[in-house]
Parts: sequence; structure tokens; C-alpha cells
Amino acid sequence: MTFSTQRPVTAGAPDIGASTTPAPPGRLPVIAGEWIDRTRRLAFTFEGKAFSGFDGDTPSSALWAAGVRILGRSFKYHRPRGLLSMANHDINALMQAGPRLNLRADVEPLEAALNLTAVNTHGGVDVDRARLLGWFGGLLPVGFYYKAFHKPKALFPFWERLFRRITGLGRVEFDAPHVRTPKRYDFADLLVVGAGPAGLMAALTAARAGAKVVLVDENARIGGSLGYQRGGNDDTLARLRALESQLAELPNVSVRTSTLAAGWYADHWVPLVDAKRMTKLRTRAVLVAGGAYEQPAVFRNNDLPGVMLASAAQRLIYRYGVKPMDNAVVLTANADGYVAALDLLAQGIGVPAIVDLRPEGDASDLPTRARQLGIQVLEGHCVFEAEGGNRLAAVVVCPTDADGRPQTSAPQRIACDGLLMSVGWAPAAPLLYQAGTRMGFDTTVQQFVPRELPAGMFAAGRVNGVFALEAKLLDGERAGAEAARFLGFAATSRITDRPTETTSPSHPWPIVEHASGKNFIDFDEDLQLRDFYNAAQEGFDNIELMKRYTTVGMGASQGKHSNMNAIRILARIRGRTPGDIGTTTARPFFHPVPMSHLAGRGFSPHRETPLHSRHEALRAVWMQAGIWLRPEYYAAPDKTRIELVREEAAAVRKAVGLIDVGTLGKMELFGPDAGEFLERVYTARFANLKVGMTRYAVMLDEAGVVIDDGVVARLAPEHFYFTTTTTGAATVYRELQRLNAMWGLRIGIVNATGAFAAMNLAGPGSRAVLAGLTALDLADAAFPYLAVRIGEVAGVTCRLMRVGFVGELGYEIHVPADQAARVWDAIMAADAGVRPFGVEAQRLLRLEKGHIIVGQDTDGLTQPDQAGLTWAVKTDKPFFVGKRSVEIVRKGAVRQRLVGFDLTVAPGGPVPKECHLVIRDGNIAGRVTSIAWSDALQRHIGLAFVEPDLAVDATPFFIRADGGLMVQAKVAPTPFYDPAGARQKLA
Amino acid sequence: MKLLRCPVNGVRPVSEFAYGGEIRSMPADTCSDIEWAHYVFNRSGVPGVKVEWWYHIASGTWFHAERDTVTDRVLRTWLPGDLPPAADGKAA
Amino acid sequence: MPYQLLRFAFSSKHPEPRMFREPDRLKDTYDAVIIGAGGHGLASAYYLARDHGMTNVAVLDRGYLGGGNTGRNTAIIRSNYLTPEGVAFYDQSVRLWQDLAQDFDLNLFYSTRGHFTLAHTDSAVRTMRWRAEVNKHFGIDSELVGPDAVGKACPQMDLSCGGHAPIMGALYHAPGAIARHDAVAWGYGRGADQRGVEIHQQTEVLGIDVEAGQVKGVRTSKGYISTRKVLCAVAGFTPRVCDMVGLRTPIYIHPLQAMVTEPQKPWLDPILVSGSLHIYVSQSARGELVMGASLDPYELHSTRSTLDFVEGLSAHMLDLFPFLSNARINRQWAGMADMTPDFAPIMGKTPVTGFYLDSGWGTWGFKATPVCGKTMSYTLANDRNHPLIEGFGLARFERYELTGEKGAASVGH
Repeated sequence: MTFSTQRPVTAGAPDIGASTTPAPPGRLPVIAGEWIDRTRRLAFTFEGKAFSGFDGDTPSSALWAAGVRILGRSFKYHRPRGLLSMANHDINALMQAGPRLNLRADVEPLEAALNLTAVNTHGGVDVDRARLLGWFGGLLPVGFYYKAFHKPKALFPFWERLFRRITGLGRVEFDAPHVRTPKRYDFADLLVVGAGPAGLMAALTAARAGAKVVLVDENARIGGSLGYQRGGNDDTLARLRALESQLAELPNVSVRTSTLAAGWYADHWVPLVDAKRMTKLRTRAVLVAGGAYEQPAVFRNNDLPGVMLASAAQRLIYRYGVKPMDNAVVLTANADGYVAALDLLAQGIGVPAIVDLRPEGDASDLPTRARQLGIQVLEGHCVFEAEGGNRLAAVVVCPTDADGRPQTSAPQRIACDGLLMSVGWAPAAPLLYQAGTRMGFDTTVQQFVPRELPAGMFAAGRVNGVFALEAKLLDGERAGAEAARFLGFAATSRITDRPTETTSPSHPWPIVEHASGKNFIDFDEDLQLRDFYNAAQEGFDNIELMKRYTTVGMGASQGKHSNMNAIRILARIRGRTPGDIGTTTARPFFHPVPMSHLAGRGFSPHRETPLHSRHEALRAVWMQAGIWLRPEYYAAPDKTRIELVREEAAAVRKAVGLIDVGTLGKMELFGPDAGEFLERVYTARFANLKVGMTRYAVMLDEAGVVIDDGVVARLAPEHFYFTTTTTGAATVYRELQRLNAMWGLRIGIVNATGAFAAMNLAGPGSRAVLAGLTALDLADAAFPYLAVRIGEVAGVTCRLMRVGFVGELGYEIHVPADQAARVWDAIMAADAGVRPFGVEAQRLLRLEKGHIIVGQDTDGLTQPDQAGLTWAVKTDKPFFVGKRSVEIVRKGAVRQRLVGFDLTVAPGGPVPKECHLVIRDGNIAGRVTSIAWSDALQRHIGLAFVEPDLAVDATPFFIRADGGLMVQAKVAPTPFYDPAGARQKLA
Repeated sequence: MKLLRCPVNGVRPVSEFAYGGEIRSMPADTCSDIEWAHYVFNRSGVPGVKVEWWYHIASGTWFHAERDTVTDRVLRTWLPGDLPPAADGKAA
Repeated sequence: MPYQLLRFAFSSKHPEPRMFREPDRLKDTYDAVIIGAGGHGLASAYYLARDHGMTNVAVLDRGYLGGGNTGRNTAIIRSNYLTPEGVAFYDQSVRLWQDLAQDFDLNLFYSTRGHFTLAHTDSAVRTMRWRAEVNKHFGIDSELVGPDAVGKACPQMDLSCGGHAPIMGALYHAPGAIARHDAVAWGYGRGADQRGVEIHQQTEVLGIDVEAGQVKGVRTSKGYISTRKVLCAVAGFTPRVCDMVGLRTPIYIHPLQAMVTEPQKPWLDPILVSGSLHIYVSQSARGELVMGASLDPYELHSTRSTLDFVEGLSAHMLDLFPFLSNARINRQWAGMADMTPDFAPIMGKTPVTGFYLDSGWGTWGFKATPVCGKTMSYTLANDRNHPLIEGFGLARFERYELTGEKGAASVGH
């Protein structure tokens, strides 16, 4: 066994043996197996008052020991609340500790110097001003907020501001740090959830068969009910120690305490959450032995501090050595209540009465034993109401009739400061539900139990409807063996079927009506019994509607203590069984999980080109281009962005510039059918492309929409090299692969985007710069416009394409990524006049040439004809992707066309921006897709979609700029600059 | 996390894969414009067992998967051009 | 305390009647059958009865009232769409929304919070400007604002997003609102019920009879109904119902997930959306942060949850709000979104006479609930598409006349 936990396990307090020093007030003498270390005191504050507890305490246990009874206020009526479960669903004891909000005081480990306050109080937990709301309870029935505050309409914002002041629980601290918690991954054959008797036996059985087992328990220590349902002696603790030592002999079991199996996801993917991190476990099977949540009884004032689940009192005693009360009435409907009474007696706590809801009482010898110990056992009785102000002072007990209704003629008032509720259980089945288990209601145990488990899911113990200790151990063994066999290990068990209970551990109707209400079903949401009757009366009488109208189970405990009673109530209202009513969906998480754990380290990947460091040195200002970082422009002292962009552009126009275009997608295509493949995926012709030449390429989707463009170069008859847009590279590559998986052409395609760097050397001086670095013949005849050549530049073999995107003589140089810096450096060193330019200058330069940018000058519906790409679409080819759609669209009217425009702006006048609208006769007639000031042309130029009849040269139209000001523009032919293309074709 | 079996790389988490949609056959050239539009836009959105394109991103492998779009169970996967293996019925 | 609450104090018995009856059995015939007792179906029934006098109407649902996407969405209402058709349509919806609580006499907690769609890239800024310009053109309160305005509305936000996705601007839509989603279905259900419409829950449609291109009747798990008009308002189940009449549509189903934190004291006033970070978030009247992201990446007819979703969304949330590290996620869930290729709905008449679609609501259906009821009831009553839905017909795909809403819904909502 390996053991991992956030806390020491068995070190610390001795197991057995009384301390000679007297226990502090509120504490019991040392308890065998207790979780606290009495040698280590922890000082903390609650609501500004100083307290101390022990290492191993929770805030609730330490405060309870110190005599604090009001741990929090309820959500709606702000009633005083103490502790309920000590099992991670005491939502009324949520606390704030600095930046930690909604801290669960019943289970979070106490830490030194914690400064705790109760959440959701106005003026502190003891004097909460909002408790006044409780007095108006009669005005606030279920769904009251749907019935008021909306009339008059104008007042709703007032009410809403009020609601927003009083709603919510913990407070977010805005200066809290960003916590980054790396995640872990783990693998197992079998995950066992819950290390109580059933889980321990299951883990032992499966591990002995050879399975690699991970055993998790959300508690600080293993043992479950073995540790706290003792019945006044330490026999079960001895059983636990025995199981523990057997487990210790098995190297293939990893035990993780304080660890929550937070949810079940497809194919047995389970997040294990502890205080430090989330571990994502991939397991082949999951065995749920997470037990059951004890359920509250429902009677008037069942929320008074001092009223608690029997198991909560037992946990206080055996885990934390806390004396839960001095005198307790035990309200029960099962054997567990008698066991709890014995636990109390053993600690010197008075038990004036056991109130058993069942007329026949308990079939075991427990009632006799209780009576022998002097306890009054009242069978066929109920607690009618509890009394007290801020804490329990007495309970009123009365007999029940045959239907379980209270007979209040002769009530018996019993003074007590504690009431234990032991009337039933609900299965901790969320993981089973999430995995798709079909659950059914077993009337023998009055509980939903698994009826049909999905492959690889197993259940044992209370969640499986098995309650007696020996039976739980057997059931764990059975389920563990079944899981082992499922995993392919040989394993046997003493039993093969789920053991059956003879009596129900859960009462079918642990609910007592009371004319004055305050008999709570849901402590998170302050829902009383009558809220359910009222909801049903209003038509919310199926479980899902009832949940939504009452909000039962929607609080932070997710219905762990309330859903089962809600189902019983609805069943009674409808005259059906709980099984007919069914349950609501159990969504992840089992308990809430911190966002830091889920977020992990928080990766935000980006890509850098091989020339990144060069750009940094040149003071690049970065921009995001898809996942890439690219230089937007290069900064210089005392110059503005716009000045620098214009300077960079001017350098290209007048001298020579160099831009990193390595983010383009770069694909290698080989094979006898390579030309045919390109014919099919691009709109232009490529089969006839000569070796050594390039051609512009447009890609459409099946609907005929422009999705990508690039340049195709033919390096050899059966070898092409082509580019895609920066953002399109991955998806284009993927789609091309898919298309050929379908077509089966004889090609190979390689995504060389990362393998090659690329830079564009452009400007009238580019040839001269390059000439000094290469032996290639750069003469126009030898290396004409649109040609591609392979040759050495600065000693590195490169692919050079003479392209004209920016409209000047230029060479796009593609170079193996690891050699990129060498080539860049050589070019930069070759001539002091070479100026690096960024994306923004390139955008301007290409706009001067009227070249579109796919994604900016096109959108998700742009057809090639609309974008002026008709020339690149060869519908005389037999096929290309999108061809038929283009042909169909051509039969109809073109809805818009992309045109060039220019405009003269009055000095100081408004300049339209990209995506400003073209307006005609008060209607939208298009929009600007690109616009910029062109130094070269000394005017603003742009591209815009306009209605087709406007798409005629020199047609004036209006653009609505900022502030609604209309700016006149005029359709202008593109390219704006060097229309004949003489500069890029420079001989 | 869901697991998928890439026919080349074995069982991997679904985050390593991209979905390529249901496999559909293109109508013949002779189809009507309406038929073509239906092919382009319409989908068989009805749930059931479908044969789909899936892509293993890390290795660049497209393959076919037979998947129940209600339960998310993958019945079998195979490479295009290969014959589908016998459905094992297990979540691959 | 408002006087409406006083009656609860002076009444020994809860003074509220049933919101909706539970009819014993189906009638043999109805003037119209509406499949789907969600917000859309019930709104259609409500306006059919109220505005068109058609009360012999049955609303059928295989589950329960409001149990589908009506009860699963993140309850955001806005009208800052991209296309003229979309803007006009959603604007009408927002106007209806604003008076709905008075109309129903039921508080829907309609809360105008302001809606920011954050732009982290210059191309996103362009798209936001496009939307703002179209919105303003149609009189919608919508504008492109800078990071400073975002910071002012939400001072707690890290405008640099941890340094890797700085906010460059946002589309601000002041009327953006949230509402209590379940109550919308209840309000429409109650109003329809009061006017004679029958709501049959747990009644599954098994088939639709069509003769000579005309709807004749509906086969259900509780018997046969003859009717000549059927409205399909079933979101994620649309393909199944369309299949019953032999209709193929572009609709495909992907899950859409959401999650909430435990309740916190309210601090987040506006509704925030980030396309780059795949986030939308608002804080509910209960103090929970309600969050969603983008669609799940593949077809699935299931409302299962995934861990990847909560992991990814939490990471992105912490980029914007690092101080939420200690906040805890309480619950996650999912709905089935009926997506279309152009991110616009498919509404109105179909090639099958008497079979009407209110579908393709993807991730944006909640906000359209009132206007869908209005327009679909008109369409059913008159057997003529309402002018506001002309742009949303199924036939637009055959004509390659998609609506182009895609640009506005990169992350939806």
C-alpha cells in the first residue's frame, strides 16, 4: 500500500490510552482513534473572537468544542444554524477566510491563524440584522419572488439592487492571487471510491486478485463508519486496524485520503481532487462504495443549533473528541440511532429518551439494552417540534397514529441541548448516475439502489442498499471480486449477490407536519414542508418542475440532505411511490471544486517564427496572427506607430524592405497525381503550370465560399510547394489530407510550415541586395516574375519565388527553419538600406495593389465572384471543390461586389474605418473591408463590398464614419498603385 | 475523457482527435441544382449509428469511425480503403 | 415589502391556483399541435390563443414543461446581431421581453445588465465595429468601446488577460439582459393554459401522418391526434421530428455545456462574452456566476458533461479574473443545440403543408422566445410566414441565400 494524504494519518495521537491531563471544556477525554493531535494547538478567530483548536480539527469541531452553537445563518431567513452533518454538506456553516470563500467549516482542516467569519450575515453571525427576514416568512412562500416586485415595472431595478445586496454567500476578494495548480495524471485498473468497510474490502479483494487499485476517500482518514459508528465500544476500530494492516501488505493499492472523486466522465475518466491539486485518473473500472448521506427528520425547528444527524454527533466524538451536547434525545427509525445512543452514553452524555418513529420499534436487542441503561424508549412516537431561541432547549415528543401523524393531545416535553436524527439514508450515488447506472427504488430498504450498472461500474455497501456491518464487508468483497474478474483477474467471493436487509434503515416518512411550519426540508435553501405542498398546488408536481420552482437541491450541497425527502413528499402528494417519482439528474461535481484546480497551470500557447529573436532585437511591436506572434511594426524612439508604418512602406516602395512571412502555411506535395490533386482543390489550373513557375491559388469550400488562398510553385513535374494563409495552415492541411483519403490519388502531402522559414525581400533594390548573396542568375530572363528557383542564398539552399504581393520587385525566400537567421542576417548585413517591415506596412502595400486578405476582405459567405476573383476560377475544369456551387450561384444575381475606392478627406474631417457601412438612400449598401492612407498615392484608398450596381468605376457612394458623418467615396479601379504591374515585373 | 482508437496509433484521448463529420457521398454531376444544394447543406441530423471521419491530429491520420451519436459509443474504427473490422461493441 | 406579498400573510391556505392543468387525456382532434413544451412552443401556444383566437391547441412534450434548453441555457438576452434580418427580429424580441413580466403578472427577473463582447484581436475589433454599425443603423443601442470603458464597467477584470490576450475593445450593448429562464416557460404555459390550450407533459410524439403533402395527424405515446397543423419547436430533437415527415434540413446537433459557481456576493454587473477566450459569463440573482463556452466539437445527442469543458473554461475565466482561483464550481450541465450552417434559425413553413418549423436555435434560442411565439403563432394561424421571419426560411439554403449571421455568433449568445 502506498499512502498519500494532505494530513498525517496515524501519527500523532495515540490510539488507546487516556490522557492524564483533563480534557479542555467541550472536549472529551482522549478517544481511541481520534483525528486530532492534542499536543498541537491552533489559534484562530471566528467573527473576530479568539479561539483555539487542535491540529486535525475542522473549524466546526473546534468551535463546537468551544461552545459556539451558531456557526452560520441560513440563506433566506437568516436563521441561526449550527452543524448538521460534519460530512461536507453543512452549507449553513460556510465561512470566509480572507480570499478563501465558502470554506466548508465542517470538513476543511483547521489551520493556525485562520480568521474566519460566517458568510452571508449582516452585522455578524450572532446579531445578523437580516434575521428579520425570518419574521416575514409568511410573506415569503415558495416562489414568492415570481409573484411580486415586477409591478410597477419601474421599481424592479430598486428591488433587484436590494436582492443583490442580500443574496450570495461568500465574498470574492479582488486582490486574491492567481493560483496556478499543476495537474497530475494517473492510471489504475480499479478506482474504489470510499474507504469504509465495503470499500476497504473491495479494494483488498481486487488488489489480492492482482488489480492495480486506487482507493480514495474524501475524509482525512480511512475507515468510514468503522471509525465513528461504534456503539460505545472500540470493536469496529479494531476491525478497521485489521483491514488497514492487510491493506498495508499490498503494494498495488494506493490509498488517498482527503481526496474527492469529483465526477465520472466518459470511459472512466475521474478527477481526483485534494487540497493541492486535481489528479486525472484513467481507470479501467470504478467501484463506488461511497456510502450514504444521513437524512434529516422533518419537524418544526429541525434546524435549531443542537439538532444534528446522529452521524454528525458520532463524528464529533470519535474524530475530534468533541462533546456534542450534554443531554440528547435520539430520534430514530433504525438500529443506527440506538448505536448512536450507546456512543453518547459511553461518553457520559445523557440520553433522556430514544424516540422511535416505528410503532414496532427495533427488532434487535438494542431497545432492551437501551432500556437497561436507563434510557426511555418511546416507540411509535415522533418529535413534534423543537424549542429554543438560538439553540435547542427542549423537544416536544408525542405519539403517532397509524398513519404516522402526531397525536398532540398529550405531548411530552423533554429538556435537552441535543437532538440526534437517525431516520434514514440516501445513497451517495452521483458517480453512478453520471456513468449511466439505472437506479431503482428498493422498498425493502426505502432507497434508490443500482439496478443495472454500466460496463466497468460496480457498487458496494450502503450505496448499494447494504447496511449491516458484516453484510457491507461481504458486499465489498463481492463487488471487489466482480470488478477483478471484469478486469481479467481470477477472483472469488463468499457471496455472489447483494446481501439483503431484513429491516429498512430508512423510514418511509420521517416527516411531521406542523401548522406553524419551520419544518425544513432543504437547509441550503430554507425550504419548508409547506413549500412543497404549495409548489405542487401550483402545478409543479413532477420532480424536475418541483426542483426548479422550489430550488430544492440547487444549493451548494446539491440536495444531499434534501432530495430524498422532496421525493417522498412528492410521492405522497401524487399517491405514488418514490420509485415512480424518480430522481433528478446528478451532475458533476460531487462537491464543488476550486477553479484553480480545474484551470491548472493555464496554458496559453503561441508560436514564434525562427526569426523571433531578430525581431526582438529590432524592437518589434508584436501582434497576434492566429496562434502566431508577428511584428506589427518596428519601434523607434520618438516616432509614432503610424509614422513608422509609413516609413516602412516607403522603404519598400523606394528602396528595399524585408519581412518575415514564415507564418504562412507551407505544404510540400509529391507524386504522379500532384497536379491533378491541385486541380481539384484549387479553382485555377495547375496541371499546366510549368516547372519553375508559380501561380496564385484560391480554395473554396463545398458551398463555393472562399476559405483560403496562397501561391503554388512547381519545383518538378511531380513536386509542388505551396503556401496557405497563416491562420488556415492547419485546417487546410487537414482538409487536403481528408480529400485525398477519399480520392486516393497517388500523392504525398507534408505540412512543412514549421520546417521552413520564409521572408520576403521586396523593393526596387531587392535584386541588387540578393545578387550579392547568391550565385543564382537573377536577370529577368533567367528568373522572371512569378518564377521559382532553388539556389543558395548566403550559403543556404533556399527556394526563391518572385512574387508581387506588395507590388514591387521582390523575392520570397523559403529557407530551412534552422538556417533562417543566417539568411536574414546576411540580407540585413548586405546593405544598410534594407529595412525590416511589419504586418501593418504589408497590409498597406498590398492594399495599394488591391490584393485581398482572405478573412478581412472576405467573410464566411463570400463567393469568389463577389471578391473579384472570377479570373482565378476556371469552371471549364471538370471538377474542383465548390465548382458546382459557384455555377449555381452564378445563375442568380450577385448580391455584392468587392470594389476599390478612394476618397478625399477634408483636413480634420472624419476618416472611415474598416467595417464602417456603405449607405445609400438611408439603407445599408455595403461595408468597408480595408482602408488606409497611402503615402505613395497621397490619398485614402480602400476596398469595400457594395451593391452590384454601385460597382462601376468612378461611381460615388457614401460611407458612414464615426459619429454618423457621411464621407463620400468613389469606386476606383485596382490596383491603385502601378496598375500595369510594371514594378513587380521589373526586368 | 473519451477514448478513441486510431487505427494506426491505438487508443488515445479524444482531445488528440478532430471530428470530420459524417461520411457522405457526393451526388453525380447530373444531379439537379437543388439536389446539389441539399448535398452541400443538409445533414442527416437524426441520431443513430453513423460512419464518420475522424482525424488523429498528432499523426495526421484520417480514419473512419462507426459511432452511436446518442451514447457516444465508438463501435469500430478503420483506415479509409480498408475493410471495417468486426464491431467489437466495446468502447474503443 | 410589496403589497403583492401581503395576500400570503392573510391567507391560511396558499392562495395560488395551479399554473397549468394536467389534462387526463388527449382529445381526438386539435386545430394545432405544438411539439415541445419549452419556451418557444409555449410562447407560440400563448400567442395563438391570445392573438389569434386558436385555443383548441395541444402542446406535447416527451419530458416536462421547460425541461429542455429553456431550462439549460445561460439566460442571456440581447439584440446586437449582424444581419438586418437578425437585428430586426431580435430587437422585436427584446421589446417583448421588457414587458413580459407585466404581461404575465409573473416576475421573470428580467435584469438589464449591459452586455460586452470583448475583442482581443484587431480582426475582432473589426467585427465588433461591423456589428455596432449595423445595430446602430437599426436603432439598436450598441457601440464599439475601448478597453477603458470595459475597465470602468468591470473594474475587477484583468484587461491584459494575463498578458497574452489583451482586450483591445468591446461591443457594448446596454440593453443586454438576463432573466429567470424557467419562469419564462411557466409564464407562457400558465397564460396558454388559462386560455384553453392543453399542455400534455410526458407525452411523446412517435410519428406524424402526412397524406399528399399535408399533415393529417400525430401519433403519440398517449394516443392518436388528428390535426392539420403541427409546429415543431423541439431544439435538439428537431432532426428526429423532421424525419417523421421525411424532411431533411441542415440542422446538426452538438452539445452546449455550461457551469455555475457556488453563490458569491454579487460583484459582476455586466454580461461578458469573449470569443477569443470562449467565455460568456454573468452573475445570477442568486449570486452564482453562470458561465458557458463554445459548442462541443462533434455531433452528439446527449446532455453528458465533460471534464475538459470545466477545465478549459476555468482556465480562461482565471485569465480574465485571476482572483476567482478560490471560487468553486458547483455544477455543470449541457443542452443539445440545433445548429445551422449560417448560425441563423430555420423558421416557418416547410415543403410539408401544415408542418411548421421553429428550429435551428443553436446557442441563441432563449433570447428569441417571445418573438418566436409571436411570429410562429402568426404563421400557423395564417398559414403564411410572418414578415419578420422571411429571411429564416428553410428554402434559403437551396437558393444559397444564407443569412450571414455567422460573423456575429463566433462564440454565440
